[in-house]
Amino acid sequence: MHELSLARDLLAAIERKLDRSNARVVRVNVSIGSAAGIVSESLRFAFRVICEGTRADGAELSVTTIAGRSRCADCGIVFDFDGLIGRCPRCGRLGGELLSGDEMILRAIEVTDV
Amino acid sequence: MCDTCGCGASAVRTIDVNERLFASNAAEAEHNRAHLAGRKIFAINLMGTPGAGKTALLEATIAKWRGSRRILVIEGDQATDRDSARIRAAGASACQVETGLGCHLDAHQIHDALHHLDLRDGDLLFIENVGNLVCPALFDLGERLRVVVTSPTEGADKPLKYPPMFRAAHLIVLNKCDLIPHVPFNLDEWTEYVLAINRQARIIITSAFSGDGIGDWLAEIDNLRQSFLTGITA
Repeated sequence: MHELSLARDLLAAIERKLDRSNARVVRVNVSIGSAAGIVSESLRFAFRVICEGTRADGAELSVTTIAGRSRCADCGIVFDFDGLIGRCPRCGRLGGELLSGDEMILRAIEVTDV
Repeated sequence: MCDTCGCGASAVRTIDVNERLFASNAAEAEHNRAHLAGRKIFAINLMGTPGAGKTALLEATIAKWRGSRRILVIEGDQATDRDSARIRAAGASACQVETGLGCHLDAHQIHDALHHLDLRDGDLLFIENVGNLVCPALFDLGERLRVVVTSPTEGADKPLKYPPMFRAAHLIVLNKCDLIPHVPFNLDEWTEYVLAINRQARIIITSAFSGDGIGDWLAEIDNLRQSFLTGITA
């Protein structure tokens, strides 16, 4: 359900950026950390729905996933992982301190001028 | 535009943005945080599983402190004001936010709720979030302290299954500890999983029903509130 909140926030950010210009949105590029817990397909669906009737109607949402990065709570090594939580490749311990990978960033908007 | 080769179509240009999403919630949260600090109000975001005992913990807190501290509660639920009614019956003020389809409170709702409460300097504010181990973790409300309440009936593995929530917590309360002997729950295993996700979190074990651990809970809230007040005046 938070994908819908995120899609709404994303559209609001796009509208703020485009303001009164006549641009139509063709594509939106976002980076989402794997540890943010956002399901890309759900986000694309929610975005498609939210954008109906707006200048981003039909725009493609391109999601780049950023790997999570954790420091192992046992052996201290830093490792990258996919998904919400990682397992240390050295000692096998699950979890650890999350260093990065829960970001949600609007990178760029591709537009055509109408 | 030509149907054959597409000539005449407008060129596509790229606008670089590089902004964090949920920026408007983050900005409102900082506004709330500054407002609360200015009024010396210690705000706690109380999150956790539906039925873990968030409201019961508040009732136990109000029962002990209603004579000595001014407690305000913002209640978040999808529907009903049942929890607000319980808070008022216990002896504190409450403001109910019904979120409808919303599965979490956000900073804008808290901003509005703060304007409906009779705030006084030095108040203790609890924000009882919608019962949910997923979404509230994403939304900063402007709180000073984030508490997650969970219980042994949920099993020991919830910290591993809901990492963002347990990572976000400053304090994790295992409530309903009186049920531990009656359910298949291993406390050492649960503790190990909590620390694997969040090494810094403080853990407190309580039973709002029997009163066990409530003294520890109150002492911890008091200590953290004192640090907050000292930090403001420093």
